[in-house]
Amino acid sequence: MRKVIAVIRREFIERVRTRAFVISTILFPLLMTMFTVLPAILLRRASGTKHVAVVEGVEGTFGIRATEALLASRRRDTSAPIPFEVERFAAVGRVDAVRDSILSRTGLSRKRQVADGFDGVLVLTEETLVSGKIQYYGTNVGSIAEMRRLEGILQPVVQRERLERLGVDPGVVLKAVGRVDLITQKVAEGKLTGQSGEATFGLAYGMVFILYLTLMIYGSQVMTSVVEEKSSRIIEVLASSLRPFELMLGKVVGVGLVGLFQLSIWAATALYLGSFGASFMGRMGGDPGDAAAAAASAGGPSFLAAISPALVVIFLVLFILGFLFYAAMFAAVGSMCSTVQDTQQVMMPVTLPIMLGIMTIFALVNDPNGTLGRVITFIPFWAPFALPVRYSITPLPLGEVLASIAMMVLSVIAVAWVAGRVYRVGILSYGKKASFRDMARWIRTA
Amino acid sequence: MSGSVVKVEGVTKRFAGHTAVQHLSMEVPAGGIFGLLGPNGAGKSTTIRMIMNILTPDEGRIALFGAESASRDLSERIGYLPEERGLYKKMRVGDHLIFLGEAKGIARSSARQKAGAWLERLGIADWTMKKVEDLSKGMQQKVQFIGALLHDPDLLLLDEPFSGLDPVNSQVMKDVVVELARSGKTILFSTHIMEQAEKMCDHIVIIARGLKVVDGALADVKREFGGRHIALSFTRNGDRAALVLGDRSLVDRVDDYGASAEVQLAPGADPDRLLRALVQGDVGLARFEVVEASLQSIFIAKVGADAATAPAQEMVHA
Repeated sequence: MRKVIAVIRREFIERVRTRAFVISTILFPLLMTMFTVLPAILLRRASGTKHVAVVEGVEGTFGIRATEALLASRRRDTSAPIPFEVERFAAVGRVDAVRDSILSRTGLSRKRQVADGFDGVLVLTEETLVSGKIQYYGTNVGSIAEMRRLEGILQPVVQRERLERLGVDPGVVLKAVGRVDLITQKVAEGKLTGQSGEATFGLAYGMVFILYLTLMIYGSQVMTSVVEEKSSRIIEVLASSLRPFELMLGKVVGVGLVGLFQLSIWAATALYLGSFGASFMGRMGGDPGDAAAAAASAGGPSFLAAISPALVVIFLVLFILGFLFYAAMFAAVGSMCSTVQDTQQVMMPVTLPIMLGIMTIFALVNDPNGTLGRVITFIPFWAPFALPVRYSITPLPLGEVLASIAMMVLSVIAVAWVAGRVYRVGILSYGKKASFRDMARWIRTA
Repeated sequence: MSGSVVKVEGVTKRFAGHTAVQHLSMEVPAGGIFGLLGPNGAGKSTTIRMIMNILTPDEGRIALFGAESASRDLSERIGYLPEERGLYKKMRVGDHLIFLGEAKGIARSSARQKAGAWLERLGIADWTMKKVEDLSKGMQQKVQFIGALLHDPDLLLLDEPFSGLDPVNSQVMKDVVVELARSGKTILFSTHIMEQAEKMCDHIVIIARGLKVVDGALADVKREFGGRHIALSFTRNGDRAALVLGDRSLVDRVDDYGASAEVQLAPGADPDRLLRALVQGDVGLARFEVVEASLQSIFIAKVGADAATAPAQEMVHA
């Protein structure tokens, strides 16, 4: 046991000491923060006041109402500048001429070359009321959020105009067509958790992503480290001092602890930047049009608040079991190769299930208790992904959770046993890369 | 500890296509220096690897300290310097040695202390905090040598310990080995350099092409090889000297080095006759001494010139 601890300590300290570890530990949260905060900042920046010309080709109050609606629109963030400044141009009968004259002044306002330039020209015609198509010529048409906002503002105005022309009281209709919203709240064990649907998805996605990343990065580190010990020949001294299984165990645990260590650094960072996390998850879950709004509202349900202690325990247990499961396979694969290049070909059977694992999340989120979800909870390759995700979405019977964990423990033992036998022969085999047929022979005869 | 420390019984190891070691039996007595000699590719490293339990013999048994358990269960009592040197390149020298000590089963604190003492003794204490990759090859070899004996093992297996070392470092390591042997440790080392073995070993085994050809205490081996040997050197008229040495009634075998030679007299030949013939030949004798056979000449005689240049084929396959 003392020897195993020596191996664990060596793996841990030598890894944590490297520049690569320090850089990746700092860089990853930095990148994540950039991905979450930057879009919010950019969206806010893009939403300065737009100077819009309304070219009115319709008699009556339609133009006035549209103008008023634009002027009245506000952002949720009340400190932001108003979205639109509007100027009306009466143009009944000569819409095209007026539009063209205004277009010549459009897109220049920002450069201040023409004092009364415009960012966009909105053309209202009789055709608008019939087809619902409104012509808009602008510098910002590429901004989906901006265009959705315009549509959202103009839609009720068009509807009202149509209703009035048909002689219907718009007030009555507006009441009748009031929007329906689902306010999602997760219920677990008969209690409201205060967790919204968006936060649920964000949480599930976060867990799966972290598991995926750790398996890929640290799992393959186990493999590379085995190959390096072989190619540097230090393995001869090690193999004559320790049992191969002790060596493999120490290596897998040591590297795994580095992963956990890094994870806990990130978790601490995430807690610290919780508010940014919430806005990120809002972005992930909502449609793009709502992004700006979601990003602006930092007071929304934080996905971090949705994490229950039971979920943390389940995630960690499955995280550790999943890592042991895959890392043992990575170690066996590493022992079959003499150079790092060789590993590229034989690691496929290990990395493929991991990649499939991250894809299962979409099916799981849609239908956590579907056949797929229930089945893969009992397949060791995907249980580490499936169980925490399902548990985070829907209440699971304790029996199912424990059964899945028990299955995982047994699988880890079985894989460790097989991998140990492959490893024992593999680490001392040089020359050509071993085939899977060789591997089968090692398992039988070792 | 009495009796044999390492007992190899009828061990055979085959690799794809050839037999590396064939029915090899040998016993390494406790204490002293045991030389495992042989040309390149003779099976020395394979034998040592089997003793270290890195390879499993196809036939036969190996017992260490009288017990048939695997060497790694006794790893605290065994030190091993493999032929293929290997260290973690990115580790610091001090940390590396502590780890090797721990892997052998000694406590961390004691490993640290011993590593420090050995680094001091071998004159590389200044490099304790440096990474292994910053060291020269010779220094790395010293580090690995320390790693093999750090835990104060009773049995030390050194596979070609002096290859690649300059004379000064060779001397330092030789001194350590001799000192350990004096303190009662058993050292088994392999080499193909006979002068070294001759100076250091109490007991030798020579193997060639996987077969044992010589086994015994060095003094016994020399006596058994028998014959009368004469070491001579001369300063001129080499062609005439060659003529004299070519006389099969006088000389059985010549190990010719040009200006000097080791000669085995023909049975019944008289050293005086050889001396007379050489003086008559006016070869400017600088040395003429009746000696025991050198290990080198025994080696050549037993192994044969062709086997001495056997191709090295120590591919390791499981």
